[in-house]
Amino acid sequence: MRIGSYQLKLEKRVTLSGGEAAIISVLAIIFALALFSSIFILAEINPLFAYREIFSYAFANPYGLPLTINRFIFLLLCTSAFIIPFRAGLWNIGMTGQLYMGALGAFAVLFAFGGKEFRALDLPHGIVIPLMLIAAALGGAVLGAIAGFLKGKLDVNEIVVTMMLNFIAFWLVAHMIKEGGPFMNPGGRGESFELPPSVYAPLIRGIPFTIFIALGVTVLLYFLFAKTRIGYQIKAHGHNPAAARYAGISTFKIPLLVFTLGGAVAGLAGYHYFAAVPGVYKIARNYGYFGDLAFYGIICGLISLGNPLAAIPVALLFGGLSIGGRFVQGKLHVGFGVDYALLGVLMITLVAFQFFYRYKITWAKTGGKVRCGSSSLEV
Amino acid sequence: MQKGLLEGIKRGETVLEARGITKRFPGVVANDHIDFEIRAGEIHAVLGENGAGKTTLMNILFGLLQPDEGEIYIGGKRVRFRSPLDAIALGIGMVHQHRKLVSAHTVIENIILGHPRVGRILNLKRAEEELKELCERYGFKIDLRAKVWQLSEGEKQAVEILKALYRGAKVLILDEPTSALTPPETKKLLASIEAMARDELAIVPFITHKLPIVLAISDRVTVLRRGKVVACLETRQATEKSLAKEMVGREVIFRIERTRVEKGKPVLQVENLSALSDKGFLALNRVSFSIREGEIFGIAGISGNGQHELAEVLAGLRKAEGGRVLFDGKDITHSSILERWQMGIGYIPSERIEVGTIGDFSLVENIAMNFYFDAKFSRRGLLDYGKIRKLTKEIASEYGVVAPSPDTKAKNLSGGNLQRLILARVLSRKPRFLIANLPTRGLDVGATEFVRNKLMEAKKEKAAILLISEDLDEVLSLSDWVAPIYEGRFMGIIPGEGARREEVGAMMAGLRVKGEEA
Repeated sequence: MRIGSYQLKLEKRVTLSGGEAAIISVLAIIFALALFSSIFILAEINPLFAYREIFSYAFANPYGLPLTINRFIFLLLCTSAFIIPFRAGLWNIGMTGQLYMGALGAFAVLFAFGGKEFRALDLPHGIVIPLMLIAAALGGAVLGAIAGFLKGKLDVNEIVVTMMLNFIAFWLVAHMIKEGGPFMNPGGRGESFELPPSVYAPLIRGIPFTIFIALGVTVLLYFLFAKTRIGYQIKAHGHNPAAARYAGISTFKIPLLVFTLGGAVAGLAGYHYFAAVPGVYKIARNYGYFGDLAFYGIICGLISLGNPLAAIPVALLFGGLSIGGRFVQGKLHVGFGVDYALLGVLMITLVAFQFFYRYKITWAKTGGKVRCGSSSLEV
Repeated sequence: MQKGLLEGIKRGETVLEARGITKRFPGVVANDHIDFEIRAGEIHAVLGENGAGKTTLMNILFGLLQPDEGEIYIGGKRVRFRSPLDAIALGIGMVHQHRKLVSAHTVIENIILGHPRVGRILNLKRAEEELKELCERYGFKIDLRAKVWQLSEGEKQAVEILKALYRGAKVLILDEPTSALTPPETKKLLASIEAMARDELAIVPFITHKLPIVLAISDRVTVLRRGKVVACLETRQATEKSLAKEMVGREVIFRIERTRVEKGKPVLQVENLSALSDKGFLALNRVSFSIREGEIFGIAGISGNGQHELAEVLAGLRKAEGGRVLFDGKDITHSSILERWQMGIGYIPSERIEVGTIGDFSLVENIAMNFYFDAKFSRRGLLDYGKIRKLTKEIASEYGVVAPSPDTKAKNLSGGNLQRLILARVLSRKPRFLIANLPTRGLDVGATEFVRNKLMEAKKEKAAILLISEDLDEVLSLSDWVAPIYEGRFMGIIPGEGARREEVGAMMAGLRVKGEEA
C-alpha cells in the first residue's frame, strides 16, 4: 500500500520478544476501549467519564478493589488450569466442572468434621483448611483425569469429554445442595450449608490467602515449562505428538498428567470462590454464574499464548473490567450488560491483534525519483 | 496484461527472460540478482541443491511470488505478474511436484477445470478430440475418461502437463519432473519432453539431484548455489562431475568405498517378525535376519512393501503381530520406545518433518529429543539446557547444520539441514543398532554424500545398521547384506559384494532367486 511518498509493507516476523508482545497487547487494549466508547456515545455518556468510573471502581475503590482481586484470583487459577493441557496441545474446556468438584471436595471435608450441623463449631483450622485445599484439588483432579485418561488411552476427543463432564458436575452439585441433598442448607434456600467461621480462609488486608496460591501456581508453571524435564515432554507433545512419541515420550501419560494437574488447579479455584471469598462462604444458589466465569480462563490463556506469567496481567484486567463494567451499568443506568459487552470487544480485539505477533508493518520512503529509472538510486 | 506476446515466436528466439531477480526472506537472500533466459524449442534445466533458491525462482517466474528487485520479460516485453493467472494468460505453464488435481474427477474434467473457454455448458466432446490429438503428438498414453485416483504418478504428471499445454503454455516449468517416477515412466516422460521441444516449446525442468537426467535431455543448464547463478553452460560441455562440483562448490565423490570392518557378534536377531500396516493388513510377513557389529544390512524395495513397518516395529513405534526381536540376546519385542533409546537403539525416521523433528522447537530443543532422558543432561527432574546447548553447538558444526543460531526454529531449516540435524542427534548417541529409514531421500548431492559417509563412520565404530532405501545403487554400494523385500517378505538375503543390480532388481519385483534363504 502507498501513502503519500511512503510504501507500507506487511512483513513476516521471524522472532517476537516479550516486550514487543506486551506493546502489541497494550495497543490492542487501547484500541478496544476506543472502539467500545462508541457504545457509550450512543448511550449519550461521555466515554472518558465512563472509563474513569470503571477503572477507578475496579482498581482504586475500597469496595471495588477487593472484588476485583477476588475475581482475579479465580480467573488466574482457571487460566492456569487451561494453560497446562494447552501446552500439551490439548484443550481443557472443563474448568467449570472441575471447580464444582473442587468446591464439593472442600465442603465434603467440612461435612466429615461435622461442620454442617453446628455452625459455631470451633474446628482446628490449621488442619481443616489444608485438608479442604487438598480435597478441592483432588476433586478437580479426578474429573480432569477422566478426560486425560480417555484421551491418552482411547484418543477420545478431550473437548467433548470435558464439556460433558461440566454438565455432570453441575447436576451433581445441584443434587448435593438442593432440597434433601447431604450438603443442603438447613434453611433450604437451594444452597449449601455455610462455612463455620472458624475455618474461614485467613485474610491478609482483606484479601484471601489464595492469592498466594494463584500466583505461586503461575510461577511454578513458568518454571515447569522453562526448566524441567516433564515440562519439556509436555511441550514436545504439544507441538508434535508423533515426534514426541518417536522420542520416547508416552502419549498416554502426558494427557493423563496435564488433565490431572489442570483439574487440580481448577479445583482450587472452586475452593477459592466458595470457601475463601469474604461474604460467600457457601456454595451459592447461583453457582452456575461462577461456572460460566471459568470460561474466561480459556480466553485469558489464549491471549497470553500459554505463557503463565503473561496470564497474570491479563487475568487482572479481565477481572477488573468485569467488576467495573457491572458497576457503571448500575451507576450510569445503562440498560445493557456493559461488563459482558466490554469483555467481548476486548477479547475480539486482543485475538485480532495477535496478527501482529506474526506480521509487522514496515514503511520505506519511496522518492518520486525512482521512477526516472536512474540506477544510482538503488542503495 | 497483453496477451499473445508469444504468438508466432520462432525457434531459438528468447521467450522469457529474467534480469536481476532478487528476493529476500527474513534472514536470507533466496534469489540474489539472478539472470535467466530461455529460448523457444530449448530444454533449459535449472540445477541446485536444496535451499539454493530454485523454488523461489520458479515461484517468481510463475507469479506466485513477486520479486523485490529485477524484471521479467516475455517475448521482449516487460511484464509484471500479480498472480499465476497473469503468468498463465501469457503462456507460462507449471507442473508442480505435488500434484494439484481433483482425484474424484476424470482426466478431461481436470484438464478443462478453470479453462477460460469453458462456459456454463461443458463441451467435453470437443475437448476430448483436441486432447487426443495432443496426446498422440507428444506420446502420452492416457485414458482421458479415467478418474484421476486410478492413475499412476507418471500418468498424473502427464495430466498436469496436458493441462498446461491445453491452456496454451509456451513455456513449461517442471518441478522435479522425475522424482516420483519409476524408470520406465521416466523414459516415457523424457521422450515426450523432447517431442514438445521440437514443437518450439520452451521447457524448464528444475532438478535437485538427478544429474544423469539433466545430461540426457537438456540443451543448457543454469546452476544455482546459495541464491546466485554460478554457472550457465551448454550441456554438451558438462559432465556429471563438473555439474556436481558447481552445485556443491567442491569435488564430490559419487561412489563410496565399502569399508571392511571386522565382523563382531550379532547385535540384532529378528525371528519370524510380522506386523500390520496402518490400514490393518499384514504388511510384514514373518521375516528373519540378524545383523552383526560393524555390518550394514540393506533392504532394497519399492516403498509400501513392508520396509517402513519393519523399521517402526524395530524402533518400538509399531506393535509386532508375531515373532521376536532380540537385542544383544535379550528379547525386546515388547520394550517401550524409551527403553530402546536407552539401551542403544537409534532410529532415523523417513518422515523428517512429521516425526523426526519438532518445527516450533529450537535446534537446542530438537537435540534434546534424544537426550532429555539422559542422566548426563538432567538432574532431579531439571533439564540442563546449558549443557544441551553446548552439545548442540558442537554437533551442529560437526554435522554441518547451517543455521543462524542454536535458537533458530527447526521449521526454518531446509530439508538437507533437517536431515543433518536428525543424523547429528541420533548418531551422537553412538547407537549399537541404527535403523536408517530412507536416509538420503530427497537430499541433494552434497548432503547425500555426507549422510553415506556418516553411516560408514558409524559402521566403523561397530554399529549394526539396518539401511532402508529406494535407491538400489545406494543399497548395493553400502550394504554387506542385501535383502530385497516384496509384499512383506524377503526375496532372499544375498551378500552385498558382487550382488548384481539386475538380479536384485528382479527380486524387488517379486522374483525369488534360487539358493536364497540365508
